[in-house]
Amino acid sequence: MSGGGGDGAEPDLTPMLDMVFQLITFFMLVTNMKAAALDLNLKLPVVGSARPVDTKGVEELLILNVTSDGKINQYGIVKDPGPYIASEAQVSRMTANKAGGKLEAGDELPTRVVIRCDRATTFASLFEVIKLCQDQGFVQFALRAMDREADK
Amino acid sequence: MSRRKHKKKQEKVELNLAAMLDMAFQLLTFFIFSFKPDPREGQLNLRLPKPEPVAMAKDGQQAGSDTNNSNPVAGIETLVISIPSNGGNIDGILIGSVADGNNVGGPNGLDGWFKGQMDGGDFPFKQVILQVGSKLRYSELMRVVDTCIRQTLPDGSKLTKLSFVELPEGG
Repeated sequence: MSGGGGDGAEPDLTPMLDMVFQLITFFMLVTNMKAAALDLNLKLPVVGSARPVDTKGVEELLILNVTSDGKINQYGIVKDPGPYIASEAQVSRMTANKAGGKLEAGDELPTRVVIRCDRATTFASLFEVIKLCQDQGFVQFALRAMDREADK
Repeated sequence: MSRRKHKKKQEKVELNLAAMLDMAFQLLTFFIFSFKPDPREGQLNLRLPKPEPVAMAKDGQQAGSDTNNSNPVAGIETLVISIPSNGGNIDGILIGSVADGNNVGGPNGLDGWFKGQMDGGDFPFKQVILQVGSKLRYSELMRVVDTCIRQTLPDGSKLTKLSFVELPEGG
């Protein structure tokens, strides 16, 4: 009828922008970029006494995803275990030496190797990885498993 | 002059929020698509040094510093647990070697054996070696490792110092 037809309706976008920023903040806080190192296709075994461990960033971790055929899958790329573990050991040694240590090749490394194996991985494959790590000086290990609650 | 000033005061600054909203939605979309909730995983911490060579002592002879001790395994303070596999599953757990070890059955039997040892208040072993069949599945191995690290030693610490070796026959 009359009036208003030619006026451009301008919605107030401020509340929508507020809401979107709140959502962005939420996702930024809950997103864990380190989770990208985990191969979520692996089916881990269920172990009752496996407990989540928060190192609070103090301890260096080397996460190895060992597939059922004994390969190492890092960030979606299948790698040969020998050269990969050797290069990671070198990085660990250099990091420790930068922090004041005097580590040489073969010395005990402070990094903990976190092994995530598929349920069906054979001991031979796991043992091969452990031996390669031990040869490079890794002694601290953690074997990953699901706790019972998460499996339900 | 004064008229111009008056006019300026009345002008309303309007921010164009549409562009900012576009960008915010793009960021939001990125976070929604890249969001993966962390899997609830736990871990068993172990100290896995390279296994030390086990001396080939014969049964019946003096072993270690104790002259009354004729048990070679106790003499070298190494506990050997053998876990042969059959089709990827545990085919018995033996305290000692596969040939002449004491079969405790499965992880529950091993737990009972540990409890029996700990009840005596003396656990002489400084090193535990798990001899594992090469075809044993990881899930089965973890049952045994879980049983081991649940044990509390007489000094109050947990039994986390383990070594792995592969069974010679390939289990």
